[in-house]
Amino acid sequence: MTTATDTAGQRRPRTRDWALMWEKYGISAVLVVSWILAALLVPNFATLANLQNVLRTASFVGVAAVGMTIAIISGTFDLSVGSTLALAAIAAVWTGSQFGVIASILAGLIVGVAVGIINGLLVAKVRIPAFIATLGMMFVVSGFTLIVTGGNPFAYNAPSFIWMGNGDLLGLPVPFIIFLICALVGEGVLRRTVFGRQVFAIGSNAAAAKIAGVPVQRMTGLVFVVVGIFTGIAAILVAARLYSARPGLEPGFELRVIAAVVLGGTRLQGGRGGMLGTVAAAILFATLGNVLNLLHADAFWQKVVEGLVLLVALSIEGIRQRVEERMSRQMHEVKEGG
Amino acid sequence: MAGARETAGRLWRSYSVAVVVLALGIILSLLTPSFLMAGNLMNVLTNAAVIAIVGLGMTLAIASGNFDLSVGATAAFSACIAFTLVPVAGVPVAIIGGLITGAIIGLINGLIITQLRVNAFIATLGVQSVVRGLTLVYTNGRDMYLQGYPGYKVLSGGHILGIPMPVILALGLAAILGLMLNQTRFGRHILAVGSNTKTARLSGVAVDRVLIGVFAIVGVSAAMSGQIYSAQVVTASARIAVGLELSAIAVVVVGGTPLSGGRASLIGTLLGALLIAMINNGLNLLNVPVLYQQITIGLLLLITLAIGAERKHQALGRERRAA
Repeated sequence: MTTATDTAGQRRPRTRDWALMWEKYGISAVLVVSWILAALLVPNFATLANLQNVLRTASFVGVAAVGMTIAIISGTFDLSVGSTLALAAIAAVWTGSQFGVIASILAGLIVGVAVGIINGLLVAKVRIPAFIATLGMMFVVSGFTLIVTGGNPFAYNAPSFIWMGNGDLLGLPVPFIIFLICALVGEGVLRRTVFGRQVFAIGSNAAAAKIAGVPVQRMTGLVFVVVGIFTGIAAILVAARLYSARPGLEPGFELRVIAAVVLGGTRLQGGRGGMLGTVAAAILFATLGNVLNLLHADAFWQKVVEGLVLLVALSIEGIRQRVEERMSRQMHEVKEGG
Repeated sequence: MAGARETAGRLWRSYSVAVVVLALGIILSLLTPSFLMAGNLMNVLTNAAVIAIVGLGMTLAIASGNFDLSVGATAAFSACIAFTLVPVAGVPVAIIGGLITGAIIGLINGLIITQLRVNAFIATLGVQSVVRGLTLVYTNGRDMYLQGYPGYKVLSGGHILGIPMPVILALGLAAILGLMLNQTRFGRHILAVGSNTKTARLSGVAVDRVLIGVFAIVGVSAAMSGQIYSAQVVTASARIAVGLELSAIAVVVVGGTPLSGGRASLIGTLLGALLIAMINNGLNLLNVPVLYQQITIGLLLLITLAIGAERKHQALGRERRAA
């Protein structure tokens, strides 16, 4: 069951197995260990209300990270999700207050898809590099949001709307259930559909995929629409959680989403990754924040710890490579390397 | 015929930003008489210089095939350090202290990228979060003010021969980096690493050392921008220079440095910064709400790149037809 396309013959098989295991399950293992440690050491961590709180917090970044996982596997990424989140949330809240909850959900999704289509066209048709296209769209969308709203916040507090962000079902927070469904759908799309296989193919080697007949441009465009859909869903959940939305909601959201995906073991170079790691990483980030809160740590330390976790987790692979190279250099004496 | 068109294309590529800057200048001076007033022009130049300085550092990072997402955080932290040092050690030491802070953060970036082999995007993203957090901890989330030290204000408000200090600093930095890129081995190595890291390594370029050097320079440039900005507003806090990294990248790209690495246009970066400062100033003068400024940066970025991509597309087509 190796879903990844191996970069053949770079490493010896035994260590590669270890690396693959770490890549796929490492962050889940870290999550389990940190929950056990937190339950033992942190007062009030292992209460139902608190765990619900952690899972709820994880869901907002998590849902958007589902779409971003697919984008990063296909070898691209989207910096506009933060601005899109704010615009879609505002659209959902405003539409909801005028036409009710169904219209509100539709509005959030439509905004997400619309921005996704524009991103997709810019990257696939106009051929602007994704980094810059989505960076430009980030400015355009947040500027557009400010102009349309005049900088004002909007509120909508119909019980059915609020329930999507704050309710519980069978003891699980509703946003978390939606997050899990999104992740399952995302995983299913990646593993069981032609689209998913093409996403992996484009991410591992776009030129080869093109020669093999994959419509690379069209699929890349489609990936941005998928990102837009999940960003729309995340926006509805955030708006429902807050009863409201305003321009500049969640600054730095795009970077937190990308951080969760990469921490989850999806390679930034594309071609490898999956939803399990993304889900675990999203929950891990939420757990970190929660534990720091419970320990009454200065709120400012939270950013420091978040960054350090990201750096440490992503250094492990590099350190392992270096150790391995040194060992094999000692064994062979001649082997090129740093 | 094709030759002439290609020459025209090359000329346009080199000077398009300059032409756009000139055209915009003419349009603005026709639309609003206050644009050409000396005070306003100085204002535009000063604002352009602040973003240009960090953009110059970013140009090197992009030319070496990398990004640095930590420059905003670095700018804020360095400014806060400088603000602490001014009353204790005097203005010159404070400025140097701030620059050293930037260099250290840059070194850390470089070490994480080369020694721990973390992708530059993610490494600098992590460092950004850590440095922002440390700045919040350091300042306790409060604004720092600097009253009664006019020496520091020289950074943003000083003049030499009537030219604002930030402009002199930006031009000076551009000259130094330009000499470095064109005349020194280190500079050529930066471009070599940017166009093909593997080939550069095989031809004996000390890739790791080059990249560490590049990120240290980016750190210094970020610190410089942060200090000038903090002198301008006489405030430093963890909340200044948020999103600076994205504006810096935008300025570099609008200036014509290709994202693919291996080439750098420092003059382009200066002009890119000037263009964005002029647009924002023009919108202000024309009483367009500040809300529109973000959208113009975004559209400018997309249009520049769309024109570039279109040309590349045509060039590819020509090559294919020729073959």
